[in-house]
Amino acid sequence: MNERLTEQKSIYLQISEMIETDILRGILLEEEQVPSTNELAKLYTINPATAAKGVGLLVDEDILYKRRGIGMFVSKGARDKILTKRKAAFAENHVVPLLAEARSLGISKEELLTMIGERNI
Amino acid sequence: MSLHCENIVKTYGGKDVLHDVTLDLQPGKIYGLIGRNGAGKTTLLSILSAQNPATRGSVTLDGEPVWEHRQSLAKICFSRELSANAESGLAAMKAKEYLRIAATYYEDWDKALEARLVKLFDLNVKKKLGKMSKGMLSMITIVVALCSKAPYTFLDEPVAGLDVVAREQFYKLLLEEYSSSGRTFVVSTHIIEEAADVLEEVVILHEGKILLKENTQTFVDSAVHVSGKAEEVDAATAGLEVHHPETIGRSKGVTVFLKPGQAVDESRDVSVQPVSLQRAFVALCGEEEARP
Amino acid sequence: MKRNLKFWTRYTWECGGLVLAVAAVLAVLAIFGAEGLDFRTFATRVPYFLCIGAVFCILVGNTGTEVLYVPLLLSMGETRRNVLLGFHYFRLLIIMATTALCALVWLIAPGEVSSIGLRSIPTIVCVLLIASALGSIMGTLFTRWKWAGTALIIVLCGLGGGTMGFAGVSMQDSFFTAKTVELAAHLMSTPWWLAAAVVGSLAVDLAFQWMLLRRQEVKL
Repeated sequence: MNERLTEQKSIYLQISEMIETDILRGILLEEEQVPSTNELAKLYTINPATAAKGVGLLVDEDILYKRRGIGMFVSKGARDKILTKRKAAFAENHVVPLLAEARSLGISKEELLTMIGERNI
Repeated sequence: MSLHCENIVKTYGGKDVLHDVTLDLQPGKIYGLIGRNGAGKTTLLSILSAQNPATRGSVTLDGEPVWEHRQSLAKICFSRELSANAESGLAAMKAKEYLRIAATYYEDWDKALEARLVKLFDLNVKKKLGKMSKGMLSMITIVVALCSKAPYTFLDEPVAGLDVVAREQFYKLLLEEYSSSGRTFVVSTHIIEEAADVLEEVVILHEGKILLKENTQTFVDSAVHVSGKAEEVDAATAGLEVHHPETIGRSKGVTVFLKPGQAVDESRDVSVQPVSLQRAFVALCGEEEARP
Repeated sequence: MKRNLKFWTRYTWECGGLVLAVAAVLAVLAIFGAEGLDFRTFATRVPYFLCIGAVFCILVGNTGTEVLYVPLLLSMGETRRNVLLGFHYFRLLIIMATTALCALVWLIAPGEVSSIGLRSIPTIVCVLLIASALGSIMGTLFTRWKWAGTALIIVLCGLGGGTMGFAGVSMQDSFFTAKTVELAAHLMSTPWWLAAAVVGSLAVDLAFQWMLLRRQEVKL
């Protein structure tokens, strides 16, 4: 939750991604309360409506849920859901740009696979 | 329920400062009023709060007129930028006295908050306003704005002269007050980048006209910077609203404002990057300089 | 309106201090000049010092008010009408308080001057009203046309200073003698031109103030 915001992406997307990352890393646990939109707003010095929009995205995906009068909580199974989602997006977000760069540098598929093979995951 | 002004015209010495400004400010939002020097920001805020008369046009709050209407005026606080130079009568007034008069006139003045802010900003209230630095005067206007508890509160250049720590403190205080009270704030500022994330909506005033009033995120998301070989850029942005072209050799960069449903043709060999509120503002209002 | 009354009452109270201070300075000067001081005789003269103090305070206070407090209160969301009313309330309050204090002193310390003093209260009120109107016109001029206001202030301050100096000198030897009675007796009747001057100056003042306030722009 303490990453800095950048200008490269909409703030509300960054807020929802930060909460997801914290869930993946075990900083936020399932069935645990997440900071309120007002707390997030004050922490990042952003408008509460923007923070609420970021949190809202996660509610729509059932990663967070609302307990009336108390606040937002991490849903059961949220971690798995985020993993599945991020894995699905992995190719699009990371492999496609990798291939594009390789293509413009004239790196062959074999060379690329060798480079990957040399490294530990 | 809103603060509304219609067809406001303000003329000074035969010159129009505001041309036909119509604006609707909804309750419970933080608005950013941005514009270049002399765009008419202070004049507009003065007219909305009935501190200055408009040459033509009307201002209403929840349907009631604001001019000479005590009930409406009580709901508005325009904490003016204090200059307190030698010519101003305020120079000889102590900060304490200024705050006391504000506390007398604003019905819901928050005494506890006043004490907290004076301590936080480390303000010496026994000092005369004329002896205070620009930063300290800004702090005084911030104290008045936040403590007034007025449902509609305007701040004119509240961070002028404040250092970066105090500016951050101000935005946090503003958000804290906004979250707990749901008051409407209109903040005019030159330091756009820092304020960008705090503002729910931006109102851009340019040469006395409202150029744009939109959700900050929507506005920023609608603007992209497209760059690459000039022909490619022109092809990729054909039919789109293009601003602020800059060229160097064969390379060209433009800022594009996309309407819903529009997109840059990314099959062309161009880079498409997001822009900040400040860049988007410069692209909209800085045209004269860009033209050769 | 409650807040408005609160502000102006407090302001009157603060200005009252100025009236008393000026009166005290004049009284001290008079005591030094007097031969053989009799407390009761002295007491009957005090109201005149108070009146001079009030004229001074009203002239200075009115100008200050228009230059500073009128725009300040407008910037804090007061209506132009209420600012005008509050301002007149302040002027009336200070005139009433001064006259009441004079009357009280004369009632408590009876004497030849006291009875003359009590009968000259209408004249005193007229003079104070004219002073307040002049002070406010001065303030208006000062806010609108700086040079005209400055010129008027110089003239009025010169006149005021001259009068006070003249009064001070004449006080040195005559204030505790029969001459005072003679001087004070002049104030007993209120000539028609004085009453006319009150009406005239108040009318001019009101017109001036409204002209200024109606379209005034707040600058701080």
